[in-house]
Amino acid sequence: MTSLLTQVVVRLLLAPTIVIAAAVLAKGYSSVGDGFSAGVIAALGVIAVYLVLGAEQADRLLPVRLAPVGAIAGLLITLVVTFSSVVRGEPLLTHAPPPGADVIHLGTLELITAVAFDVGVFLLVFGAVVGILRTVALARSEAGS
Amino acid sequence: MILLLSAVVAVLFGAGAFLVLKTDLLRVVVGMVLISHAANLTLMASGLTRGKAPIYPLPNGEVSDPLVQAMTLTALVIGFGVTALLLGIAYRVYETHFAVDFDRLAEEEARREAELEQEEVSV
Amino acid sequence: MTLVLPLAIPWFAAVALAALDGRRPAVGWAAVASLAAALVATAALAIRVWTEGPVETVTGGWPVGVGITLRADALSVLFSLLTLAVLVVCLAHEVLSGIESRLFPALVAFMTVGLTGLFLTGDIFSFYVFFEIAMVSAYVITGYGGRPRQISAAFVFAVVNLLGSFVFLIAIAATYHVTGSLEMGQVAERIADVEPSTVILIAVTVFVAFGVKLGLFPFHFWLPVVYASVRPAVAAILSGALANIGTYGVLRFGADVFPRELEFSASALVVLGVITILYGAMQAMSRRTAPEVIAYSSIGQVGYVLIALAIGGPIGYAAAVLYAILNSLNKVLLFLASGLRGWLVGAAFFVGVISVAGIPPAAGFFGKLEVFRAAIEDASVTLVALLFLGGALSVVYLLQIYQHVYWRPGGVAAGGEASPVVLRALTFAVALVVLALGLWPEPLLAASRAAAEVLVGGPE
Repeated sequence: MTSLLTQVVVRLLLAPTIVIAAAVLAKGYSSVGDGFSAGVIAALGVIAVYLVLGAEQADRLLPVRLAPVGAIAGLLITLVVTFSSVVRGEPLLTHAPPPGADVIHLGTLELITAVAFDVGVFLLVFGAVVGILRTVALARSEAGS
Repeated sequence: MILLLSAVVAVLFGAGAFLVLKTDLLRVVVGMVLISHAANLTLMASGLTRGKAPIYPLPNGEVSDPLVQAMTLTALVIGFGVTALLLGIAYRVYETHFAVDFDRLAEEEARREAELEQEEVSV
Repeated sequence: MTLVLPLAIPWFAAVALAALDGRRPAVGWAAVASLAAALVATAALAIRVWTEGPVETVTGGWPVGVGITLRADALSVLFSLLTLAVLVVCLAHEVLSGIESRLFPALVAFMTVGLTGLFLTGDIFSFYVFFEIAMVSAYVITGYGGRPRQISAAFVFAVVNLLGSFVFLIAIAATYHVTGSLEMGQVAERIADVEPSTVILIAVTVFVAFGVKLGLFPFHFWLPVVYASVRPAVAAILSGALANIGTYGVLRFGADVFPRELEFSASALVVLGVITILYGAMQAMSRRTAPEVIAYSSIGQVGYVLIALAIGGPIGYAAAVLYAILNSLNKVLLFLASGLRGWLVGAAFFVGVISVAGIPPAAGFFGKLEVFRAAIEDASVTLVALLFLGGALSVVYLLQIYQHVYWRPGGVAAGGEASPVVLRALTFAVALVVLALGLWPEPLLAASRAAAEVLVGGPE
């Protein structure tokens, strides 16, 4: 499992995985993709690192200690987006600006509240998956030592 | 297609139920995973349509039913979370009882109860 | 806005609490305060619903059937009020006795999210999602305390209830397949045109799913193990707040979505209800520790709700709602009192005992009275006799345990130190509420009749 080859491949694959996750997240508004699948894809990259390098090494290589913070921040973002429409006097989960209105562009990405919602979902899924994995991995290595 | 799916659901549910009835905790967890997938597949089968992705502006021709996919996705997430939780609880059981087999768990519990009773009597 | 606040407050509270250390008393009290705020918001919503009629909104401004419907009617606000009140009391009880786990307040808040969500949604699938949020928090809370018995109880609880959840999910898939909708109103309309043999299968599946949650007779086996091994406050949360999912679900799906199937299977439900009552009472009589007796008693008590539901009509539904509410109050009182020692506790426990037995002036009297009224309306002598027998048995087993615990010299209550005064005062306050509802039952009776009107499709 932890031959030199797998160690190198896992490190090399991490960056492309994150890029693919970002692409899936961004293209969710004109094609198939969303924050959830992006979160799962990104988490898979981190899981591979855990499998090959072990919990301690992964902890040193990646900022995975922050995973629960990410999950909570993501949940908070989605909640704020969900309930902010009520403050504007619209039904729950209405996204702003409405269809047809002018939006701020970031390249080809249109900045609407739905994007913020999806980023929140991404953070939540990524943080939760990595957080669960880390808890289990640390429990294992504690029991081992 | 529906026939194939229902056959798969039946096999998944049956296999899951078989595993849940085993005495080994990990087999029970795997059985629950299989049953959750049987439920997910039933959800998919409940609105089986073939077409393009239903994203506005709608493409020409048939679009597939997005609702079943959304439901299945949600159910998958719930299933995933619950599986992680079950594994966590199973691990805690192992930590506290040093066994993952129901028969041995029951033995362990009976032994502990007997010890407690002994203590009470001596007090 | 009034509809959104009861949902928003627990959500934000849960997220904030998840980031904090719940063992600190300040955090615990913040959790109690936020749940109390949610209770106030729900009360405001309830007043609006009772005076102006149901409040409804569809998310995202979509038409009904596309977006998720949120709906508050007399039935759902009554159950949310009860559940929130129970959760506030139980959480305050646990904060006062010292929380041992970092996540306990956050988990109770997440459970509140799930419970208020499922009471206020009008969409079958989001019902399932909220239901799972509440259940998952419950699985973790069951293991709270960390004693070996509690952890294995958590595993049993999780596996059995997950089976129930997946069965419910399959029923949702089937409902969507035959009606093409998830909105409860639309489903109820369209399901009338579907072939009855298909619908009865779906209805039975839904009933099995909620039967597992409730611990009805053939699905009860997990309940005593769990209730008797967890901490008293957790047992109170499970039986007083979480079990409401089962009663609400049976009422909502049975009377609102599958009324034809409910009528069709009424006699089967009565038989199940009677078996549940007698079985629960017999088992309770043979047990010697308070938690076990109360656990079997809560199996038996659900039988009354089932019988009232099967009798149906405005009187039957009102009796079912009233009995469900009083039963969860009784169980909270009994479980909380069973974990305490010292004076006042015996009195609180005794109030719980006479309330379950249905002796005035405790509130339980009116619960029993309404179920009897429904049975007499149904003109069934056997049923009235069986209900009476069940009531008599509950007096026997509860007084037996009362005597065993509080009267016997050197009994359980005599040993050990007295619990803190605040805890005893809180439990006694619950007892006073049960007594007050027995002395002045009109508001609760009116509320349960309003809820029953929603179910029979009366004035909207």
